[in-house]
Amino acid sequence: MKKQNFQLIGRNNNKGLNFCALFFIVVSVLIIGNSVCYAAEADQHEGAQYFNQVCSACHTINGGRLVGPDLVNVQERRSDEWLGQFIKSSQTLIQSGDPQAVAVFEEFNSMVMPDAPFTDEQITAIIGYIEVASGGGEETVGDGSEDAVDPEVLSEEAALIETGAASIEKDIILGQNLFQGKIRLQNGGPSCISCHHVKNDAVIGGGILARELTTVFSRMGEPGVRAILGSSPFPVMQQAYLNKSLTDEEIFAIVSFLEQADRDHMFQQPRDYGVKLAGTGVVGLMVLLGVYSVLWRNRKTKPVNKSIFDRQGKSQ
Amino acid sequence: MDVRSQVSMVFHLDKCIGCHTCSIACKNIWTDRKGAEYMWWNNVETKPGTGYPGKWENQDIYKGGWEKDGDSIALKGAGKKKGLLNIFHNPNMPMIDDYYEPFTYKYLDLIESPASDDQPTARPVSLITGKPIDIKMGPNWDDDLSGTPDYARNDPNLEGLTPAEQDAMFQLEKMAFFYLPRICNHCLNPACVAACPSGAIYKRGEDGVVLINQDVCRAWRMCVTACPYKKSYYNWNNGKSEKCILCYPRIEAGFAPACMHSCVGRIRYLGVILYDADQIESAASADESELVDKQLDMLLDPYDPEVIKAAKANGVSDSTINAAQGSPTYKFVKKWGLALPLHAEYRTLPMLFYVPPLLPVMASVTEVSKDQNDNLNPIAKQWTDSWLYDTSTEELWGTIDQARLPLKYMANMFGAGDESKIKGQLQKLMAVRIYRRWKTVGDISEEKVNEVLKDTNLTAELADEIYNLTSLAKFDDRFNVPPAHREQAIEMLEFAGDEKGSTGFGIKEKVQRGL
Ligand code: SF4
Ligand code: SF4
Repeated sequence: MKKQNFQLIGRNNNKGLNFCALFFIVVSVLIIGNSVCYAAEADQHEGAQYFNQVCSACHTINGGRLVGPDLVNVQERRSDEWLGQFIKSSQTLIQSGDPQAVAVFEEFNSMVMPDAPFTDEQITAIIGYIEVASGGGEETVGDGSEDAVDPEVLSEEAALIETGAASIEKDIILGQNLFQGKIRLQNGGPSCISCHHVKNDAVIGGGILARELTTVFSRMGEPGVRAILGSSPFPVMQQAYLNKSLTDEEIFAIVSFLEQADRDHMFQQPRDYGVKLAGTGVVGLMVLLGVYSVLWRNRKTKPVNKSIFDRQGKSQ
Repeated sequence: MDVRSQVSMVFHLDKCIGCHTCSIACKNIWTDRKGAEYMWWNNVETKPGTGYPGKWENQDIYKGGWEKDGDSIALKGAGKKKGLLNIFHNPNMPMIDDYYEPFTYKYLDLIESPASDDQPTARPVSLITGKPIDIKMGPNWDDDLSGTPDYARNDPNLEGLTPAEQDAMFQLEKMAFFYLPRICNHCLNPACVAACPSGAIYKRGEDGVVLINQDVCRAWRMCVTACPYKKSYYNWNNGKSEKCILCYPRIEAGFAPACMHSCVGRIRYLGVILYDADQIESAASADESELVDKQLDMLLDPYDPEVIKAAKANGVSDSTINAAQGSPTYKFVKKWGLALPLHAEYRTLPMLFYVPPLLPVMASVTEVSKDQNDNLNPIAKQWTDSWLYDTSTEELWGTIDQARLPLKYMANMFGAGDESKIKGQLQKLMAVRIYRRWKTVGDISEEKVNEVLKDTNLTAELADEIYNLTSLAKFDDRFNVPPAHREQAIEMLEFAGDEKGSTGFGIKEKVQRGL
């Protein structure tokens, strides 16, 4: 028997709720009254937090282009309303034929900017933050978060890549293995190959759930790739790596691999197993069936009355 | 002593008229569904014959039941090791053609066909494919077909009979047959339960009904092969196995199962028997010669104070013990020793018992009667019966030894192959008849009757009791359905006090108005 909803119990609960609500309203009025003065500051702080969490994967404020444009003083170029719409759903704006939106989309290799899961207030906070941060002039903004990209650091790492071919080779191999899942990601995230493919001799048949990454390096540039690996703006990828973020070494290795893949993809001829692959499958199946037919040879395959059925007349 | 209660059954084969009413009652309630059309949880077969599914008694084909394994027993075709090895192909499973391909007729064609030169016919169509088929077989295809080479002569129970004996059985003027109605035996040592890899089959504690949990069944079909009686069936439509549920919803409401309720011949009896669960293993692994006796030894006297005490300690309710004391099946099986389990050698300890048929014995007197030709009515080929009950004692038991269906054949079914196991039962049945003949017709001397009763350890009272329960029994005498105590079962699962003080009935949607 299931528990039933009984009328009396329902009533009691409702009454209780009403008292609760009243109490809650009184308390919240008091709290809100106190906190109004902090609101502006909090807003900005919130904006910084959102920007670093999500936007900074592709954008900087006065830090140069990454995947998307540098947003320093963007308010001078676009209205807040336009920004709001673009952040909310860039594709809607682009498809509506807004010339500015189309232009920026094409300028940045038609990279789709994913729709951000923000409320209107949060968007306002972010725009507010960009404005404040732009006002900061020369200095790089976006610090205070490990995801933020510091151009100096970038160039240092770039330098690292250029020095010492051995270390590059090692990193590329590591990246390749991480990409293919031969080595597990340290924090338990899924390996890249589950969703992505790269045309490379080492990779047989990557995933087709997400974009093919052979030329990602030329499309986004190193900082872009690095930023996306650090903190992905794509909702699905975000979910997949929630609490399982990649370590800096892993990012470095994968980026090295992707760079190599991009550079060399013209010369890569991943082995095409073609018919042979299918053939192996068929032969394997035959062997398996052979084994089964031996193992299962004593299976009853004839009805006990077969001899009677065989003698019976048939209409067709 | 671990006393438990079991709802047990007795089928009195002498009374079955082979009308199949029981099968139809069951079909209409339980198996008239897609995927279940071919199942007959209750079926009636003609013996000698191969039955349904074909040759089900031949465990070389189906590998059902248990076999002796040292001191203990092991499943013949399933179990942990064998089951795992065979789990994906289950080599001994019956095929649909072993049962039969279920069919119906296109009756509507008879009335809806447009006018034409030919009469419309109702073609048979398969209930599995929906396409027209040639009917090859039915669930009682060899009904009444004793003597046929395909069916009767392939009866697995003929094993151990000499070719001469077999031939004698099927000679035209001597041919005999009887009916064997079968349902799940709700065994004490069910092979189906032991074989299920999912643990979906269980034996209900309160009344011993064996059930398949449809939520847990994973379609391995191990029970289908493991049950030596082939009484677990696979529903190809919903992918679950099903079996006789002894109409437990009816039993819980105090009714007899549908097959028993509807039985025209009134051959069926149902009642509680108390048994000692501690003896299950030793009884099931006894030597073949002791199997029947050991099984009967497990069944306990419901009047014995020790038994009652142990039963109560085990949670058997007073009303169930009461039902056991008035149980007609206990009388047949234990008190009178008339009923025997079918194929005890499968070692599942079946709890459906059969009173073996005596009927074909009558005409066997011809063998010992020199002047049979004088007694044979040349046209009707019926025996003039003035001498049939002329029963000098030697001749009386002689008729049983030379029955038309040889004792060995009966023993193969009801005595685990041992003729001495079944002879006593048949003699008792005969004694009661002779006693009643003396009472109602009076052409037999009292002296002879007393001799006969003494020979079989019966008294006049006992003989009357047997006669009453056999021939005159009313509904409530035949079925002593124990009270179900569902409320106790529910209280074991949840605290009923939770509902106390509530409005008394539930509401489906939340009330929107009010505080
Ligand atoms: S007769 Fe019934 S309880 Fe016994 S093994 Fe078969 S299905 Fe199970
Ligand atoms: S209804 Fe009774 S008499 Fe008729 S076939 Fe079934 S068991 Fe026999």
